[in-house]
Amino acid sequence: MTGCRPTLAGNWVVAGLALVLACGLSVTATAQQGQPAPQDVPPTPEVAEPQGFITEPGWLGRAAIFSDRKLGGGGNGNGFYVSTKSPIQGSGWITLGPGYRHSFQDDRVLVDVSAGVSIKGYKVAEAKFELPRLLRSRLVLGTIYRWQDFRAIKSYGEGPDTTEDNPSTYHLRSQNIVGYSTVRLARWLELNASVGRLSPDILSIGGDEPSFLHSETSLVADTRDFPDHPTRGGLVRVSAARFNDRSAGLYTFNRYESEVAGFIPLARSRVVLALRGWLVAADTQPGQTVPEYLQPNLGGGHSLRSYPDFRFRDDNMLVGNMELRVALFTHLDAVAFADGGSVSARFNDLNLDQRSVGGGLRFHTRRATILRTDLAHGHEGWHVRFSLSEPLRMARSTRRTAPFPFVP
Amino acid sequence: MTRRQWTLVATVLVVAPITACAKAPRPSLQPSAPVAGAVLWVEPTDIATRDLFYGPWGAEHAPDATDTFTLVASNHSGVNLAMTVTDSRHREWSVKTPYLGGLDSEAPVEVVVSRLLSAVGYPQPAVYFLPAFRLTDDLGTRVMAGGRFRLQDAALTDEGFWQWEENPFIGTKPYQGLQVILMMLNSTDLKNSNNTLYQRRTGDLVEQWYAVRDVGAALGDYHRFIPRKNHIAAFEKTPFIVGVNNGYVDFAYQGSYRPFVEGRITPADVAWASNWLGRLSDPQWQDAFRAAGYQPADASRFIAKLQQKVREGQALANDINRSSRDQK
Repeated sequence: MTGCRPTLAGNWVVAGLALVLACGLSVTATAQQGQPAPQDVPPTPEVAEPQGFITEPGWLGRAAIFSDRKLGGGGNGNGFYVSTKSPIQGSGWITLGPGYRHSFQDDRVLVDVSAGVSIKGYKVAEAKFELPRLLRSRLVLGTIYRWQDFRAIKSYGEGPDTTEDNPSTYHLRSQNIVGYSTVRLARWLELNASVGRLSPDILSIGGDEPSFLHSETSLVADTRDFPDHPTRGGLVRVSAARFNDRSAGLYTFNRYESEVAGFIPLARSRVVLALRGWLVAADTQPGQTVPEYLQPNLGGGHSLRSYPDFRFRDDNMLVGNMELRVALFTHLDAVAFADGGSVSARFNDLNLDQRSVGGGLRFHTRRATILRTDLAHGHEGWHVRFSLSEPLRMARSTRRTAPFPFVP
Repeated sequence: MTRRQWTLVATVLVVAPITACAKAPRPSLQPSAPVAGAVLWVEPTDIATRDLFYGPWGAEHAPDATDTFTLVASNHSGVNLAMTVTDSRHREWSVKTPYLGGLDSEAPVEVVVSRLLSAVGYPQPAVYFLPAFRLTDDLGTRVMAGGRFRLQDAALTDEGFWQWEENPFIGTKPYQGLQVILMMLNSTDLKNSNNTLYQRRTGDLVEQWYAVRDVGAALGDYHRFIPRKNHIAAFEKTPFIVGVNNGYVDFAYQGSYRPFVEGRITPADVAWASNWLGRLSDPQWQDAFRAAGYQPADASRFIAKLQQKVREGQALANDINRSSRDQK
């Protein structure tokens, strides 16, 4: 493994990411304007949902109401809830389990515990304790424990040139405990830091895996209107992480990420152009390697949609996505998309040579993507996907545990 | 998926609707012992002059639209966003606002229903609507979509909820009439926790107000599983009364609270409630909807439908009277 040299492979990659960055930042800047003068009656914000090009049938509207009430992403109610959070891509299209969440003392203390089993038998359990209103909400401190059991993670081998035939699978179980802090520099700008211990086991080979002490620092600028169904705004995230092998001393490495996304409303918000670019680079010292389960994976419903989950992995990764979302009905979008990306051992070899193009449908409320189906075509043929989440979800901007295995 | 997984999914798909469709048991209604100072309804002797824009608590209690409110805490229950805020006069308000997107917006409905109930004599807390307001939280000040503001008044203390099944008023005309009005409005969330028992102190006088409070699930349709709220097209399509069976009114209402009214409401009850609502003038109806921020065109459609229901209720009693006279 060579060291990370931050030069991009090809001017067109630079141009693409620059475009996305510009979109994200411009919307960020726009969102800060327009503060009304005091003592005036404030203008009434637009709350109505953008109408589709076709009048929506009643059953679809009612389905949206039901989804908004039960699954809409409000996510702040005290008490028991049904957890549908997918443990990881490839775990099946639906996950169910119990959850309990409670805020105490005027939102100064938050407790959230949940567990879930996916339709393929992947299990996850999580407990979080957070103090979100320290220093007048400028500082968040918290701790989170996550246990997960993924019974059949596919492995196609390392590098961009593997074939899709005969992947092996492994059974991965892990525990991760993390302490984290967030400094809120503004409503849309956060500086995050975390430190934790990750203890993986690969049960299928019965080997002792090393445990890791990991830490991460990230800066996130986020002006998206709704993270689970963004229609305007953008996100810029840069992060640096270190994984320190505390057992074998062979798997210590640094990882750097840069993620940029922009959501540009057109035609009175009936059309949204969504762009996302994500770059992951590993930096290892001589004699150290990145273990397979911590290498970034490419392929699946959130990256290259014509490829199977975990199709490509290596130390470095680049992925770009573009989607054009057209509101057929108020709550149903037709989508055309193009994905490109690659993995490589050397950072300079990254490109967008692995590509997918396709189309799909999104059923959504104003706040969340409820159900989507994508039909994608790439070098390895067609792939149909069903999912309950936004494709460009950028979950890493809010997730505090170590991504494990590392998938978009 | 494996065969076992398919079986599990199929079982859930079959069993869940059957369970959900099972008819709710008919509740047993038990009048409780009289409670000192208990008030469900006070005859509105001045109904013609009641102000339905500012409501029974008047303009002096209303929130100031130009004020900047301070967030105290978010509330963590219900479908709509809710929070507690204070204003520059240190008054505390419970605020309910719609999620962006406008689906299931309960705030304006709650204000309209509160205005109508208080106009015909049912005590209500001080509620108002602001189309937008400025909110300061720890991270700064921003403009929020408006909502229902309910004043936390020191003279009105929340003593918990009261039950439809057991209270001192069961069987009385105001109790029956209240349910008729809620049927007219297509109220679909009549659970006990939405009823509030208030202790009202006025000097030495202490009253126990039996108020229906969280009444925002209305003015739509009464679909049993996914009722629409605040939906004029759906509201216009729903009928009110189907007929009279064995001396009791058969409502078109199909919501999950139907067992509370099925076989219990007489034409005279419907007439009682309809006659009180029928005494509201057109400007009063308009004021009730204007107070909740409705556009005039939408308000007119809601009012036309409600007035049609009122006439239907009044006519029902006339029909019964005529029929009994004919039989004699």
